[in-house]
Parts: sequence; C-alpha cells; structure tokens
Amino acid sequence: MMVLVSGIGYSNLGDMSFGRVLLSTLAEMDWPAHVHVEDLNYGPIMIYQTLEASPIKYDKVVLVAAAKRERNPGTLEIYRWNGKLPEDAEIQTRIEEAITGVIDLDNLLIVCKHFGVLPDDVTIVEVEPQTEAWGLEFSPVVAAKVDEAIQAVRDHAFSLN
Amino acid sequence: MCFKNLPIEFDAQGIAHLKGGVVDPYAYTPREIKRDKLEELLARNGHIKDVSISPVTRVAGALSFHAVADLQERKFLDANSIATIFRGYEVILKGRDPRDAIYISSRACGVCGGVHSTAACEAIEMAFGISPPPLGTVLRNLALSLDFLYDHPLHLFLLAGPDYSQVVVEATTPAMWEKAKVTAAPHADVHDYKTIGDIMKALNPLSGKLYLDGLKMTRAPREAYAVLFGKYPHPQTVVPGGMSSTVTITDFNETYTRLQKMMDWTKRMIHLWDDLTEFFYEYDPEYKKVGARDKNMIDLGMWDDPDSYDASYERCNEWGEARWATPGVVIDGNLVTTKLQQINLGLEEFVEHSYYENWNQNGNQRYQTDPSGAPLSPNHPWNKETMAKPSKESWKDRYTWATAPRWDRQVVEGGAYARIWTTAAAGLMPKNDFLESTGHSLKINMPKTMMREMNFEWKIPEVWNAFERNRARAYCMGYNLMVAYTMVLKAFDYLRKGEDKVSTKFEVPQGERRGVGFWGAGRGYLSHHLVLDKGAIVNYQIVTPSTFNASPKDPFGNPGPYEEAVLNTPILEEFSKPEDFTGVDMLRAIRSFDPCMPCTTHIYGGEREIVREVNTCACSAEG
Repeated sequence: MMVLVSGIGYSNLGDMSFGRVLLSTLAEMDWPAHVHVEDLNYGPIMIYQTLEASPIKYDKVVLVAAAKRERNPGTLEIYRWNGKLPEDAEIQTRIEEAITGVIDLDNLLIVCKHFGVLPDDVTIVEVEPQTEAWGLEFSPVVAAKVDEAIQAVRDHAFSLN
Repeated sequence: MCFKNLPIEFDAQGIAHLKGGVVDPYAYTPREIKRDKLEELLARNGHIKDVSISPVTRVAGALSFHAVADLQERKFLDANSIATIFRGYEVILKGRDPRDAIYISSRACGVCGGVHSTAACEAIEMAFGISPPPLGTVLRNLALSLDFLYDHPLHLFLLAGPDYSQVVVEATTPAMWEKAKVTAAPHADVHDYKTIGDIMKALNPLSGKLYLDGLKMTRAPREAYAVLFGKYPHPQTVVPGGMSSTVTITDFNETYTRLQKMMDWTKRMIHLWDDLTEFFYEYDPEYKKVGARDKNMIDLGMWDDPDSYDASYERCNEWGEARWATPGVVIDGNLVTTKLQQINLGLEEFVEHSYYENWNQNGNQRYQTDPSGAPLSPNHPWNKETMAKPSKESWKDRYTWATAPRWDRQVVEGGAYARIWTTAAAGLMPKNDFLESTGHSLKINMPKTMMREMNFEWKIPEVWNAFERNRARAYCMGYNLMVAYTMVLKAFDYLRKGEDKVSTKFEVPQGERRGVGFWGAGRGYLSHHLVLDKGAIVNYQIVTPSTFNASPKDPFGNPGPYEEAVLNTPILEEFSKPEDFTGVDMLRAIRSFDPCMPCTTHIYGGEREIVREVNTCACSAEG
C-alpha cells in the first residue's frame, strides 16, 4: 500500500500557509518506505500530470491545508473527502485557475479527481484560518493546532484503512 | 523621425534632443470624459444596456469589464476595462537588495514563470555593468522560448479556444454551427479534422480533444524547463550575469527530445487556426471587425544574440536589433522604429483614470535625460513613483488599478503577435536555417519529424482583430519552437568548443545606477526600470503587456486597447430577447489579447457577494 502525504498552500500568507509550513515539518520526520512526503505546491495541472506519469500508484492520499469554510477560526477538521465533483462549469473554472497559477486545496482535489489520478481514499486535515495577511506567523488559535494536525496526518498515513 | 507627439527630434547624427522653443515640453491638459448623453440614453432606451462582467472568466487573474451596449443597433457605446486589485511590487521592492527583485518580481505572474526574473536580471546587469557569457545567454533564450511553449497552447485551447467551440457557437450562433458541420476544413490532411464543425467539437471544454491535448502539451516544455533550470515557475537559477544552473550535454539532449515531441502538434495547430479564422471570415465578413483596432503595437524584442548582448544602455540599439525577436513600434501598420532607446524615450505612464496619485505634482523630476543624454518625460518609468490612491469607481474619473502606458502618447498594444509583427517587418532576423524575416512576413521552416517537413509563412495581416491575434499566436508557437530548437543547437556548439561558462562574477555597486530590462513575456512587451543607490533599490517600475492592453482611457481621451477593441466590435450573436444576450463577441475581443491580470480573482455569487478568493498572476496593474 502506497501513501502520499503533502501540505498545500502558499508561503508567507499567515494561517493560509498552514499546509505549506507543516509540510516542511512532515518532510523532516521519519517515515516508512511506503509513505512518500511530497511537495505538491506547484499547480494542480502539473500535479495531475506528474501523478498520471508516475509508475507509483498511490492507494491513499493525506493532505493538510488551511481552508476558509466559515467555521470558527482554529477549528481543525479531519475527514475523508467524499470525492464528489462539482458541475462541469465549475470544474472548468478550477482548471483555468490551475493553469494560470493558482495553488489551492479544492483545485487540487477537483482537478486531480476529474483527471482520474486520485485514489478513493483521500484524507484531509484542515484548519479554519483566522488571518491570511502577509507574514510568517500563525495566529494563536491556528498555532495551537499544529501538533494535533501533524499527529493526525501521521495517524492517517500509517492507518491501513 | 519616429515621434509625432512628443517634443523630441533627432540631429543628423541621430542624437535626440528636445525641440527648441517649447516652454513646458511634456505638459498636457487632461481631457474630460463626458457621459451625460450616454446616461440619458441608458435611462431612456430599454435596448441600451449596462453590461458588467465581473470577473471576465478564462483570463489569468482579475479582470472586470463594463460596457454600454446598444442591442438594437448591435454595437457598443462605451467600454471600461477594470483591473480590480493593487499588488504594488514596486512598493515591496523599494529599499531592498537589487538581487531580491529577481525572486520577488517573478511572483508577479504564475503563468509566465521566468519572464520577470529575466527582465529583472537584465535591468540589474545594465546597472552593474555586467553581462552573461554566451552559453548563459543561450540558456536564457531557451528558458523563455520554453516558457512561451507552455503559455501559447494554454491560451489557444483552454482560455480563448472555448469561445470557438461547438458549445459556444451552437448556443450563440446556431446558423453558423449548422454551416460549420458541413464545411470541409482545408487542412484536414494535416490536422485530421474533416470539417470546421469537427474542430469546434474538439475545442469543447473538458471533453474536446484539442482542449485536452492543449493541456497535455503544456507538460513537455515545463519538463524541459525544470531539467535546465531546476523548477518552473519561478526558477531560482536566473542570476545577474547569467544562470546558476550546471548544464551538461545530457540536459540539452533531454530538452531536444521534448522539443521534438512538440513539433508535429505545432504543425497541426497552425493549420487548424488558419482554417478556423478563414471560416469565420467567410461565414460573415463582419467577424473581421470583432476586436478590431488600429494597427498600433509595441514590443521590446527578446532572445539575445550571445555575441552582441552586453547589457549596456549605450549599445542597446545594436544588441536590440540583433535579437531573435526584433524590438519595434508599429503605428498605423508601419514599423516606425526598431531602436530600443527610441522605444524607451517614447514610453510614458498616465494615471488620470487610475487609482494613483500623479507623482509629478511637486515638479521634482528625478531624471531629465536617459543615460545617453536624450530627453526623458516626467511620466517615464524612471521618473515614476507608485502612489496608490484608492477611491470610488467612476467611469468619468478613476476606475482601475491599471495605469495607462502610452508610446508617443499613442495607444499601442503588446502581445506575442506584436513580437512576430515587428520581427517580420524589420527583416533583421539573425541568419539561420529555420526562420526568415522578409519585411512583410516571417517564414518558419519546421523540419521533418514524424510528419513531413513543413514551411509556414505568417504574413502581416490586412486586418487587425481578435481572429488575427489568435492566428498570430498559433504561428508564434512555430516561431518559439524554432528559436528553442536553434538555441539547443547553439548550446551543443558552445559545449563542443568547451565554452561551458554560464555566469559572470560581479559586485553590487554602491553609487547611483540605472538599468532597464527590455524583455518580453508570453503575452508580449515587458520592461523593468530600476534605480539603485548605495546598493539598494530606490525605484522599481514594471510595465507588462497587460498594463498596456488593459489600460483605461488616457488623459488625451483615448480608450485603452481592450476598450477600443470592444467599441469596434459589432454584436453578431443571435438573440431575440435582451436577456439572451451573452456578450460572446465582446468576450472574444477581450480574450484575444490573452489578458493577464493582477492576482486576486473575485468570483461573485448572487448579489455580488465575494464567495471565493484566489491568488494568481499579477501581470497587469503595477506589476
């Protein structure tokens, strides 16, 4: 069973960089051979093309990111993505954004699912941001969730289900 | 004499100076925009509609467009192009080490991944007095042609392409779709689409073969880019004085293989856009007016000759004219200059209808002349300061974050098509086996790959419109590909001779210095103007193709290129009720420029509520 782990987001955007910052921590940890920690912050189209061409077919993907979903700031949610795609017009919009340089968790999920390169088992570890102003620091409520999020990623990467 | 509006003349030795006897040579009186009649028509006539598109989709970044359409007369009465976001790279860069500009300005665009870093490097090289060794220049040329081999298919098949797809054509002009289904495609033997209808079906978003192949074809150039420069976009290997990549013959072989992969597809694609364009013209010659505007364009050229480029301002005319894309300004279809210094002297930016303060109010002009002593406008980027002034949107006053760059106070557009036009018209292409500039066309000889050898000729068009922009961009694919191909062959030659040096040592100078990166993006003209002092950036100004193209009205009352193109566009779509009007002709006009806007896209849902924000390209307003 092959597992792909990554953190998604831009650098230097406060809480919105949650995934990107945690990715650095995750990349420095020890992992078993079947778990690959990869930087997927280079645009969903390129990611789908890389996954499509790769000889490795992942059985499970675990992604960590910040996403604005109108929850209380600092809320940490861990869920299995239902894999449901939006209507074609929305998929088209996400592809346009992806090819014009947008790095975004939802774009990644939609584009990669549309092109058939995601496994059914996709786990999201997601925090609700409080700030997205330019900066290297997380807000206190988000910073408080870092350890929990990392542990959640590791638990799900190691889990066989 | 290339200027007819600016107070600059040239002596017998070609040295520029201000015309005598003019008291305040660059002064002007802004013309007031009058909308009273328009407002009255809007209030009185049901068939005259305000049309607001926010955002314009299938463009890079955040562009909104407002127009007033007369649905009865089927024409547009007013047009406003709106860049909705201020990014202020110029402000961010002030006070920093000049080398930071390479990496920070690169983030201005997520599509053209290396153009800003290269333009920044060229500006720094001029200021530092250094230049790359020949293989360093060849590598840069290769990087930027690979960049465009990613950019052009993306536009032709994913952004603009759907405007000509079955789903759009059938919905907006059903009679045309019926005709397309039974019209044989003249070059079917090359591209394998028997009818125009088949081409349109293949352009359908998400499912059409051309849409999907366009997406796939962006991969090979990006891979080659990553092999040579480490990553794409935003390479970290573009440095003042060359490149920091360590390249071997294997890397060039890998690049060569990927270029071969693109060759056959490009041959098909050029013919395909020819067929599509001619079909629209034949179906209704009024389509020649969609996106039409004066044949006024600007380009700085690019792809330096390794033996000529020395980064100096004093020799910029010589090394500029030796480029593989010739710098130039076209006015009313005539090439009026190919000299980089003249192009630079003619450049001004105006902010009367933009959300900025006019920096000239205190009368302190930093530079009266360029480094060669030629007169410089107070509105020139070397004299400009970025002073944001957010205010209420008003079509009579200020309505955009884009400035209004003008050349000789005339409205010019930038684009890949401007690059091929100035190169074709100048007849200065370096001698080579694959590309020839004839003075009226660019001949492109594409060698045998899986398909036979093919010779293409892009001819300067008689009409200038949305279709010709797209057609020229398709030919630019062949042009870029053969530049890349030639650069790989040159790299082999340099390596064979043992000339493998790719960078030059330098020190950051401490005195006051000026530099400018005269360069190009996938979408055309790109300049970075730099002022240094005490080893830090004092002023940094970026002008991109979309700064020109998306510009608002200027103080002389002239609309920007998008605006002018829409005002000239007839409404040709079929509709019986105003609510069925889609604006497809207007959108074809706008998208043909390949807009690249600043970096937050606002997507409105329902009552203009912003439901999502994303960060992407920042190629327009203020870099």
